[in-house]
Amino acid sequence: MEKSPNQITEDLLRPLLRTSPKYYFAVALLAAVVVVAFAAFGYQAYSGLGVSGLRRPVFWGFYITNFVFWIGISHAGTLISAILRLANATWRRPVTRCAEVITVFALSIGAMFPVIHLGRPWLAFWLIPYPSERQIWPNFRSPLVWDFFAINTYLIGSVAFLTLPILPDWALVRDKASGWRKRVYGFLSLGWRGTPRQWSRLESAMHIMAIVIIPVAVSVHTIVSWDFAMAPVPMWHSTIFGPYFVAGAIFSGIAALILAMACLRKFLHLEDYLKPLHFDNLGKLLLMMSLLWFYFVFAERLTTWYGNEPSEMAVFWTTQQGAYAPLFWTMVFCNFLLPFPILAIKRLRTITGTVIASTAVVAGMWLERFLIIVPSLSHKFLPYNWGTYRPTWVEITIMVGTFAGMALLYALFAKAVPIISIWELKLGLHEKSEVRSQETEGRGKLAFGGQEKLET
Amino acid sequence: MNGSDALQTDVSRLEKPALIVGLLALVISVGGGLHSPVQFFRSYLRGYVFWLGVALGCAAVLMLHHLVGGRWGFVIRRLLESGTRTLLVMAAFTVPFLLGLRFLYAWADPVRAHAETAIEDKALYLNVPFFIGRTIVYFAAWMLLAHFLNKWSLEQDRTANPALTRRLQNLSGPGLVIYGLTVTFASVDWVMSLEPSWFSTIYGMIFMVTQALSAMSLVIVITLLLSKTEPLREMVTPPALNDLGNLLLTFTMLWAYLSFSQFLLIWSGNLPDEITWYTARATGGWAWIAVLLIVFHFAVPFLLLLSRFVKRRIRLLSAVAAGLVVMSLLDMFWLLAPAYDRAGPRFHWLDWTAVIGMGGVWFWRFIAQLKRAALVPLHDPRMARGAGHHG
Repeated sequence: MEKSPNQITEDLLRPLLRTSPKYYFAVALLAAVVVVAFAAFGYQAYSGLGVSGLRRPVFWGFYITNFVFWIGISHAGTLISAILRLANATWRRPVTRCAEVITVFALSIGAMFPVIHLGRPWLAFWLIPYPSERQIWPNFRSPLVWDFFAINTYLIGSVAFLTLPILPDWALVRDKASGWRKRVYGFLSLGWRGTPRQWSRLESAMHIMAIVIIPVAVSVHTIVSWDFAMAPVPMWHSTIFGPYFVAGAIFSGIAALILAMACLRKFLHLEDYLKPLHFDNLGKLLLMMSLLWFYFVFAERLTTWYGNEPSEMAVFWTTQQGAYAPLFWTMVFCNFLLPFPILAIKRLRTITGTVIASTAVVAGMWLERFLIIVPSLSHKFLPYNWGTYRPTWVEITIMVGTFAGMALLYALFAKAVPIISIWELKLGLHEKSEVRSQETEGRGKLAFGGQEKLET
Repeated sequence: MNGSDALQTDVSRLEKPALIVGLLALVISVGGGLHSPVQFFRSYLRGYVFWLGVALGCAAVLMLHHLVGGRWGFVIRRLLESGTRTLLVMAAFTVPFLLGLRFLYAWADPVRAHAETAIEDKALYLNVPFFIGRTIVYFAAWMLLAHFLNKWSLEQDRTANPALTRRLQNLSGPGLVIYGLTVTFASVDWVMSLEPSWFSTIYGMIFMVTQALSAMSLVIVITLLLSKTEPLREMVTPPALNDLGNLLLTFTMLWAYLSFSQFLLIWSGNLPDEITWYTARATGGWAWIAVLLIVFHFAVPFLLLLSRFVKRRIRLLSAVAAGLVVMSLLDMFWLLAPAYDRAGPRFHWLDWTAVIGMGGVWFWRFIAQLKRAALVPLHDPRMARGAGHHG
């Protein structure tokens, strides 16, 4: 049963034009949590970082864990969407925008954490290399400065990548709505009229963006990994960290995307658009990433064990069978042992199955970030300098607040923008009908090797 | 459309000469080896790691193709399959290598193994019986994979059973995992342990990409030689070449990304145990080889492969690929040789005879396997879907 173009417009614009009381309630609830988190941050800024659990020797705790975690989640969108666009996977159409939004919001949230982590957050602008009168520049050899540039490049690129294909949809809302909506969406759609010239420009812009954004995304998480790997700390100074972090980021990103899609499907009644097929395909990608994740953990552990450096082995064993072992094995369970069978067996790779696997993966990947950061710091070189870390309520509140913040931003976005790209869906329908009509004429458009081969 | 007739024209003529040249070079190698066994085994290891890498790279790219499909794969699938069949001769070449362990590895030499603490600490892993056991396990796994990848593909040619595609796909997923794990172990065993106090966690990945890159480059060059013969002539179209070129570009970029990651982290850490690996490879004449690798293993092919003009022309694309084959060989030399020759690169004549000797036998086996079957898979349903006009 296929929807007509008018039906698609109607279905996907409904959330923008009508709002239920339940929606207001959910938004108010999420906003309240966010406000509490901001209050906790204000309290910390006022009293100093002493109210957090950060103590010698563990100076990176929940905040940096969340930083890496959210930047990781942000790899869901842009990267997956760009790859699917370039590979011209036709099933991508209803998925890309849900994914791209995750990038923009998760990245913004992640980028906040280094600032939250500062003792004097109001001095964060010192990271910006500007010609101050004291002639003090940031240390350009520090990956923290590279982070600043990489994350901002990625944020700008992702916003452009998200916004470009929204323009035709905003123009559609402008044409369908009346009153203040017409004026607002008219302004947002930047004069989109759908002329052939505009379409051709949009198409080439999207193609260029899709190619450019992939190396940018890879560089972001590589540089985040170098925040660790360039420091001579046991189990941080590991050459595999770049690709290891990138793979982990994509892994957690796909899981987050599946969860977001499941929520959208349920709350916005998009059962006819986000179909089991999409969850099945994303489930396969998640399976692949789970295997890759397993490889990275294995390669890292094997080589460290082989290297047999005393300071590294101290950290190695504390995660393998010491104080952090329960967390470590929970992580292995969540990232591999549980999702692997669910995703590998076709019968289990349903919507419920992929949601269960994704929930486990998101939790497991959060644990992974924690396990990379804290055990190394608490077991650094000299045993007299070993210690432990316990988060306080301030850190936990701020962390919970960011999850609520993500949900809040997502809910608000789904109200302002059609969460599924309407014109791309219609384009898909159009292409499908074209292929069908050509097949009946007996000349397949998908001929092997393209058009050149048609004459043989 | 039987591949063996078409093959007669070009490539199959090389079958016997390849074997003769190969055996001749090997005989000369052995002759030189009687004179200086140490140099013989060092040169032998260089050729061995390179040609084994090509065979394993073929297996990896082949499994990638089964997993994701795509028109590029059907063009080169039979070449890749024949490449995996050369694992048999590589297994035979393993025997002399295992006999010469104590000439190659400090840890396998009973005198030196007890003199260095770095080796004593690793004795649990680096010891001769365990090493040989692991090598047998690797080859068993690889040859089993190669066996089924070939068997089912050829069976599909005969029976046209579409279910075999599914079966190949189901094998390739776990197959790639097995490949990744075994190659990681093998790279530690065969190459990293040449300098037993050094280790790097990314090393296994660098090896995998090097293997895929050298296999892909070699296969593209062979595609040029075959592109005039019948079934391939129709399939080597600009779009298919474009895909192959993009894949080559991806591997080139990945190689640079991984190599740079390793270099940057070790350079910035500047720890005595680690940096010595790079200082050995950046002093004397080795620095020039490193520069050559940066320019011709990455920068030049990267820029050339960005251009559609290059990727869509078989001659240009295979010229780039041929350059990459040479650079992969040089890369292997740069990875292995500085473990012994600290002063600077020294190309011993045994290095050449070992590479040519094993290469000749490799090609003989490769061509013999290629002649067995049609040059393109006949009944893969995914290919039929893509190539309506063939059906």
